[in-house]
Amino acid sequence: MNNNLKPATMGGDAEETLRLIARLPAPEGLEDRVHAAVRKAPQSARVLPWPASPRWMHGAIARGAAAAAIVCVVAGGGWAVYSRVQPLTVPRVIAMPRVAPGGGFSSANAMRTPTTLNGPTLTHPVASPKRAKKRAAHKQGSSTVRVTPATRQ
Amino acid sequence: MEIAPGAVQDETRQHVEEEALAALVSQYASTLYRVAFSVLRNPSDAEDAVQEAFLRVVRHRGGLDEIRDHRVWLIRIVWNIVLDRKRRAKTRPETDDVEELARVLPANGLSAEQHAAAAQHHAHVLRCVDRLPDKEREVLMLSAFEELSSVEIAFALGITESSVRSRLFRARNLMAELLDHARSLR
Repeated sequence: MNNNLKPATMGGDAEETLRLIARLPAPEGLEDRVHAAVRKAPQSARVLPWPASPRWMHGAIARGAAAAAIVCVVAGGGWAVYSRVQPLTVPRVIAMPRVAPGGGFSSANAMRTPTTLNGPTLTHPVASPKRAKKRAAHKQGSSTVRVTPATRQ
Repeated sequence: MEIAPGAVQDETRQHVEEEALAALVSQYASTLYRVAFSVLRNPSDAEDAVQEAFLRVVRHRGGLDEIRDHRVWLIRIVWNIVLDRKRRAKTRPETDDVEELARVLPANGLSAEQHAAAAQHHAHVLRCVDRLPDKEREVLMLSAFEELSSVEIAFALGITESSVRSRLFRARNLMAELLDHARSLR
């Protein structure tokens, strides 16, 4: 145990045990195994050399300038796109379709409306077959009484 | 093809870093192993911890020049690793570790009976050490390493030197109480 930290009250036997543990030798080949593990470890990230690049490009200042230029180009491109594409303005008031004065459908503010063809026109009135039947039945069966739920009571 | 001077610089720096790392391994691997073994009490676990410590150094080898005392810095790294491992493996019963460690401890010039008695005694001491509070136990275990001063222990644990002294004082008192109590029970 080091001189600064000499035991005062703890038994010497206990101190001896801890000291024995602290002195236990390391296993054989430990260093070699650690060396091997360190060698297998992935290398830290570094700037890849470019063999075809000119000499002045290897300087830190040149690399920094190139990085700054790339940042400027990307930022400028983004700004150009942003400035050209304006956001869509949303109207505050919703325009309701106008109702035609005579009722019916409006033209819904259509710029052009197609010209519709004139339909066929009747020269004389035509009675529908259902109405004729009803009239005939009314004349004949005026004596028959219709049974409705109200009359039952 | 022309070799770029930047590439040469990178390779040279890498070579220097590798050499520095190899020197650290050669110099401190056994110290780190003993520190790790004193906590983990298992040879393979201790070796794993040492390897992990050096792998962490590999990741930060660019800043090796800035470190003043490599030995204490490495001890601090391995200490954090072993404490982390110990915390994770707390579910494992420690009694077997104690018995095994007591058997491994050297007993030169002792008869078989004496060796068995010594192993029993060591196991008893280690059980008492295990019963100490974490803070006191850590300081006590590190103080057993002759090469570590109180200042270095303080750096390794990330506390002040006065804290080391007070914790060590408490640890020794507690150990004395525990050992006396055990003796009185006998």
